[in-house]
Amino acid sequence: MNGATVLYQGRETEVGPAGIEGDELWLAKRELAASSGWELKPEGVCKDETCVPVPEARRSALIRDANSDSLLNLTEFARMIEQPFAHDENNAVWYFGPPAWEWKDRLASRQAPDFSLPDLSGQIHTLSELRGNKVFLLFWASW
Amino acid sequence: MDARGQDAAEPFITAAKQRHPSLIDQQMLVAELYDARNVPAAFWIDETGRMLRANDPIYAQRRNRETGEVSLNREYLDAVRDWVANGEASAYVLDLERIKSRMPALEFEDVLAAAHFHLGTFLALHGHASDALVQFKSAHALRPENWTYKRQAWSLGDIERDYGTTFQEALKDPASGPFYPPLDLG
Repeated sequence: MNGATVLYQGRETEVGPAGIEGDELWLAKRELAASSGWELKPEGVCKDETCVPVPEARRSALIRDANSDSLLNLTEFARMIEQPFAHDENNAVWYFGPPAWEWKDRLASRQAPDFSLPDLSGQIHTLSELRGNKVFLLFWASW
Repeated sequence: MDARGQDAAEPFITAAKQRHPSLIDQQMLVAELYDARNVPAAFWIDETGRMLRANDPIYAQRRNRETGEVSLNREYLDAVRDWVANGEASAYVLDLERIKSRMPALEFEDVLAAAHFHLGTFLALHGHASDALVQFKSAHALRPENWTYKRQAWSLGDIERDYGTTFQEALKDPASGPFYPPLDLG
């Protein structure tokens, strides 16, 4: 059995097949960190400055101890943090979108969301570097 | 924004010989950030980074495919000139509430639709056309009014074979809402 592809907020990682259980994806420490950046710590599921506490009632659905390692159910964790995901069983691909704190309360102020994108030559342009200029932003596509 | 990225964009950028930067949003993440549900979609951002207009479905210049006739949208171009001349005092600047109404708060269904759309795109670009279709159809069912999800998906397949419709029929689907809402300069 082949492994799975995890597409996690812009990151693409191949993981082993061991943790695939239908729609659910269980990942051990090393693969969890490599694919999603999350780590299991005593205070909860953590990444950088963010720690999500694990409620006792959900612990068994989220965390499993095996062979001196701990596994996190990444899909169940996504449900807990209101992070959308989509799964393609045929090719074992999971796509994870942003957690609730990144997509809720969009546009609380007038501030235009900042972004950086490349042009044809690969040069990166950042909206906030255009301060002092009016910016006309137009989206188009080939289709 | 284009799932085929530079390959899709380059011929247009080269032909247009633009003097302004043309950026490539292959993951369509900025399109999502700005809620661009169709193209074209235009935004005004002032010198301090504040948004003054959002999501205008606007062609400044349009060429009729059959007659070749080029028409200018003078009303909109005059509005842009008015903003350039008058800045924040322009009558065309929208207040925050109106901008928010053009970029409504996201529901879980919006971000779930996006997840299906992005997975569909990944599968399509990796040669899994029929699996991609499943994901695209989920995205379309969740957010039928998002033309970006439809048009990009159609361009990666065949609208008649894969979706059992035509572009003209799809335009009339009441679930989708208007293809281009009327330009509201008020």
